[in-house]
Amino acid sequence: MAMNQMREPAFDRAVALVLRIGAFSCFFVMLTGLIAGLFVRGYIPLEIERVGVLLMLATPVVRVIVACFLFFWEKDWKYGWISLGVLVILMLGSVSGLGEH
Amino acid sequence: MVTALLVVLGFFAGLLGALTGIGGGVLLTPILALHFGIPIRQAIGTSLVAVITTSAASSSVHLQRHTTDIRLGMTLELATALGAAVMAYLVGYFNRNALEGLFAAFLLYSAITILTKGRKGEPVGDESAHAPNEISIPPYEPKRYPLGLAASLVAGALSGLLGIGGGPIKVPVMYIFMKVPLMVATATSNFMIGVTAAASAIVYYRRGDILVQVAAPLAVGVFVGSLLGARMAPRINTKVVVYLLVGVMFYLAGHLILHLLWGWL
Repeated sequence: MAMNQMREPAFDRAVALVLRIGAFSCFFVMLTGLIAGLFVRGYIPLEIERVGVLLMLATPVVRVIVACFLFFWEKDWKYGWISLGVLVILMLGSVSGLGEH
Repeated sequence: MVTALLVVLGFFAGLLGALTGIGGGVLLTPILALHFGIPIRQAIGTSLVAVITTSAASSSVHLQRHTTDIRLGMTLELATALGAAVMAYLVGYFNRNALEGLFAAFLLYSAITILTKGRKGEPVGDESAHAPNEISIPPYEPKRYPLGLAASLVAGALSGLLGIGGGPIKVPVMYIFMKVPLMVATATSNFMIGVTAAASAIVYYRRGDILVQVAAPLAVGVFVGSLLGARMAPRINTKVVVYLLVGVMFYLAGHLILHLLWGWL
């Protein structure tokens, strides 16, 4: 069976929803931080912006977790394990930078 | 004032990126380094946040059009994420001049490739961004996986090294060598860019090379710009935008080279 005939619309929609929620929530959090910076002095606006940036960094990771879960749910073992491999690389990346901040 | 300027910069980078499919990272890194005086390593880390924003915003649209091959994307992401994370770690050992020189070379290569494609009448960037909502894609079976994985490893390494998406490598390899339809190749590349950039951005963040006060206004501008660009794309003469983009790329490459020479003289 050809690769593109294997795709399920519900799978695409679920992953798209994760990305959309991630992108919009990051946008609003960062925007809140920027607006807060106009009225509030100190570290609070910067911390709000930091939350937005961290949400942005987490969005692709959550997308991989959701895809991994959906592949295993559909008993598509091969791609479930591949997604898990991607997740492990992402996690190792965060560990490799530890202590350098 | 600087924050407002960063929002505007992000907006135009996102707009140009969405109209041409090139992505904003290639413009943001040199502008942050040259015009905002940010060290090149932090400029790369900071622009990666904008790259993830662009990918998240646009690939959700492609997924809803069912032009993204998630299985192919996940497979190649194994290589891009590995290349990006390893190179992001190694970049800490690169000297600033070497990074600026590499970036200038990449800008020149990209600008010349875009010009050559434009003359041959080939689509320059993300053609699926211009497509209608209902699209029929012919059946296909991706071929030459080892070659695709090797090219993805290189694209990931470039992303980790220069803070870019790596699309100019992934799309031609998927289209020409793996026999994936162009529309699927561009959408799948866009889908992969978020994870590729995240793999290196996490390392940059842990090292303190992402400036939150710069990344946040940039990402806000990029988000609005890329959404507007995706809406405007079908109605705009992209040839004019492409020439504008090429002009900016040549200017930034020239500026980086002069900056390097100035440092040596």
